[in-house]
Amino acid sequence: MSSRALFLALVTVTLAAPRGAVAAEPTENLPRKAKPADAAAKSADATAKPKGAAAAKPGAAAAKPAKPATRTPASMTGTTSAQISAFKLKPGANGALCLECHGNFTERLAKPSVHTPVKARDCVACHNPHASGHGKLLAAEPSNVCATCHPDIVPKNPKSAHKPVAESRCVDCHDPHASGFKFNLVKGGNELCGSCHPAIAEPAAAAKHKHKPVEQGCVVCHQPHGSATGSALLKADVPGLCVGCHNVESPVLSKKHMGYPVKTARCTTCHDPHGSNAPSMLYTNVHPPVAKAMCSMCHEPANSATPLKTRQQGAALCRQCHAPRMAQMLDKNRVHQPVAEGQCLACHGPHASKEKGLLRANMVVACGACHADTIRRQDLSPTKHKPIKQGECTSCHDPHSSNAALNFVNGDMIELCGKCHDWQKHSTHPIGEAKKDPRNRNLTLACSSCHRAHGTDSKHLIPYPKTTALCTKCHEQYRR
Amino acid sequence: MSVRALSTTALFLALAASLPSGALAVPPATPTGMRYQRTIYADSADVALKSPEGVACDDRGAVVIADTGNARLLTYRWKDGALEGGTQVKLAQLSYPVRVQIDSKGFVFALDRRARRIVKVDAKGEFAGFVEPQGASSPVTPSAFKLDASDNMYVLDVAAKRVLVLAPDARVTREIPLPKASGIIDVAVDSGGRIYIVDAVSAVVFSADKAATSFEPLSKSLKEQISFPGYLAADNRGRLYVVDQNGNAVVKLGVDGTFQGRELGIGWNDGFVYYPAQLCLNAGGDAFLADRNNNRVQVFAVSR
Repeated sequence: MSSRALFLALVTVTLAAPRGAVAAEPTENLPRKAKPADAAAKSADATAKPKGAAAAKPGAAAAKPAKPATRTPASMTGTTSAQISAFKLKPGANGALCLECHGNFTERLAKPSVHTPVKARDCVACHNPHASGHGKLLAAEPSNVCATCHPDIVPKNPKSAHKPVAESRCVDCHDPHASGFKFNLVKGGNELCGSCHPAIAEPAAAAKHKHKPVEQGCVVCHQPHGSATGSALLKADVPGLCVGCHNVESPVLSKKHMGYPVKTARCTTCHDPHGSNAPSMLYTNVHPPVAKAMCSMCHEPANSATPLKTRQQGAALCRQCHAPRMAQMLDKNRVHQPVAEGQCLACHGPHASKEKGLLRANMVVACGACHADTIRRQDLSPTKHKPIKQGECTSCHDPHSSNAALNFVNGDMIELCGKCHDWQKHSTHPIGEAKKDPRNRNLTLACSSCHRAHGTDSKHLIPYPKTTALCTKCHEQYRR
Repeated sequence: MSVRALSTTALFLALAASLPSGALAVPPATPTGMRYQRTIYADSADVALKSPEGVACDDRGAVVIADTGNARLLTYRWKDGALEGGTQVKLAQLSYPVRVQIDSKGFVFALDRRARRIVKVDAKGEFAGFVEPQGASSPVTPSAFKLDASDNMYVLDVAAKRVLVLAPDARVTREIPLPKASGIIDVAVDSGGRIYIVDAVSAVVFSADKAATSFEPLSKSLKEQISFPGYLAADNRGRLYVVDQNGNAVVKLGVDGTFQGRELGIGWNDGFVYYPAQLCLNAGGDAFLADRNNNRVQVFAVSR
């Protein structure tokens, strides 16, 4: 056959072929039957009709797109019309054909939880057998592939959404083919959640006082994909979620709370919902008045008209006990603005906390709430400074006040850095009071002459892309 | 053509090689907006500045530096690009001066950050009293302040979450509550009496017109353009200047809050800055910038 004849034959075959066989739009080349809008129309042609009435009610199917039912059980026994139309598969040659090469799937198919299209040998539901612009020959963007059948996995306008879901990283948690765990999860129960949230899972597992729902599974309280009503993926916000199980008006709990009406209070300001080593699942660090059940030291009496109201407002309340410490803070050249504003609660929790000093969160979060630019600089820096990475801001800065600029705990930069980098104090580039900075007659050489502690765009915390650019600022004779 | 171009390049390279090293170096800080003029490193006795956080100037040529680390003020005269003086003013009442202003009569006002009081200093460098606001709704703790052309004082009091406007005799004429923000760091006023404040945390500038009872944001967060605002100045020509302390720059904004550019950059050589603090602009187009962590004050020419 001549090449011209061959071309004409190909054109003829192509034109005669159904649209889906050649459409192959790079980002949306799922087989047409998989597309929500026309799933019903396609299913009308199906040799084995899918469960449900989608085919009879195309309009309804278009409004309520792509339920898994459109491609489910019927196709388990044979080739669907969509596959035939999309890829011109031979009768019976759907997933079975794929398995001829992908033999290792036999083992996977024996797993307890097999993804419905895999069970149906409907490989082309997710993959394009010929070519794809996406990894693993996926027929579309991974997020689009999953969302085709699972469009409502995250509620509309969620109050919180799980990061992997928001970033379309479904396979972080689910095996798209088969797994030994329900819902095709890659790991079972809390082990899966714990692999990304060890800071919660590990202490929870080791806690002396465990919270029963945590043992039963994270999903007792959390929605794994997204929550329409709760923050932190909670099924409902605190205290609504808590009071669903705990009747805080019961005599026992009421007594524990010294008769204060805590039904509307935020339980997690005192209690660790994931378990704790302290009785009553209180956080490790408890404000002494709370630990001693002396709520009325700060709050109005339990039987008053406004029992949760504090006796005084702001710093005046804290000053009742911490006056000497607060006076000491204010007797410095530089006072941290929240302290100057009397906003103790900007950083501290009044009841209990996981963190030392009753900090509201670890320092990266607590300090980063206002100093986001500083934390960001570290995040973007190719070289990380350990204390910042580990949230040890107070290694260098006094969070309340200081006589030194930037609230340093030591105004002598060399001594400050030398606390951790002692070797560099005496075995390094010349530094110290006797070493004048050639760039500036009012400076002597110190660590900060070359490094920025919170990171730069360049390696080694230096403010220039190349080390030579830094060195030749002083050693000009070597400048090229 | 290419031969001609090549020979020109070769000629240029040959010329470059014959020049002393550094002659071809990029001149320090020659951005279009702020052109480096000179640096003040010391007083008249050649005692070096130490962590200066404040600098004030007026249109008659007075320049006052708050030499914070040395617990003193320094007074200079600035005329036609020449600097004279450098007299030290050291007062027991002023142990940690951080912000300074000069009024129309030549009095210097300095904020002592440790004592949280504003000190008045006369032209001879003598202590002339504390600014004691009269008629405030609660005790006043100044954290920043500015003067307008009529010597009214605008005091930021973050502890009581307000800006107070004081008449020249220290009577409180207005109290404007601060908006809900995490870190209001400075206050400024323009020639029309419009008051501006800036939030260091969100990098939002707020304003209140002459008769306003509250502040309104001029724009959304400028955090992408300003790392951590530390100081705010109005040049009375329709422009605001925000000193970006952590970003080591000066950011220009329109009075409507629009971003108009970023000047200067981190460095230790002249023309660069390292944790800059107060900025003062005079009518002649000079900008004095307290370059705190470089232990100096730099003078720039501002193109309008």
